[in-house]
Amino acid sequence: MIDITRDVIDAGAMIEAAKRPGMGALVTFCGVVRDDGGVERMELEVYEEVAVRELETIRDEAMRDYPIASVDIVHRVGTLFVGETILLVIVGAGHRKEAFAASEYIIDRLKRTVPIWKKEFYRDSERWVPGSSGETHGHGP
Amino acid sequence: MKVRVKAFARFREILGSDLAIEVPDGAVMTTALSALRDRAGDEGGTIFDETGALRTHVILMRNGKRVKRSDLDTLVLADGDEVAVFPPVAGG
Repeated sequence: MIDITRDVIDAGAMIEAAKRPGMGALVTFCGVVRDDGGVERMELEVYEEVAVRELETIRDEAMRDYPIASVDIVHRVGTLFVGETILLVIVGAGHRKEAFAASEYIIDRLKRTVPIWKKEFYRDSERWVPGSSGETHGHGP
Repeated sequence: MKVRVKAFARFREILGSDLAIEVPDGAVMTTALSALRDRAGDEGGTIFDETGALRTHVILMRNGKRVKRSDLDTLVLADGDEVAVFPPVAGG
């Protein structure tokens, strides 16, 4: 499943749903809102059509380049508080090594190219989290 | 003709989230950017440099595809095109 959601992400349910008989490993990456020097909440914004397409491309690349059985990526947007899940990536594979490698590839790639932005809100201030201007696959100058 | 412009994050705060700009038939991307520069006014320095060119970190798309800097003067827009302008991404 590839999804952008405004709802709470249920990691347990997603892991159960991803399981298949041939899988011996499901590596799960869970990105969480961190209390970074007084962050109270975060607003996440998305260019949704492009973000979904880009996540699908990343999934397809991972499936092509690693011997894995499945990729699920769900990214939350909207208002999130400290401790809430921003992102869940689940890679299912026969064995753990390739699942770990693919998971790292997916999260690194996602941070470079998926059009999502974060604004951090502190008690008395706010700031946009500095981003990466990495190329969007296949369309870069 | 009308071109729809989507701006995100800091650029949305400057330009608005979803706007339509009027450009002459056959206008190229540079023409649309010029209209955006006028709209941004004093806050445009975040998006455009002193010469009026897009700052190097700014990402520009037309109908969901990234636009190369070298194509700005030649890329002809069509009525109803969607132009997106945004700063570097920060998801995950």
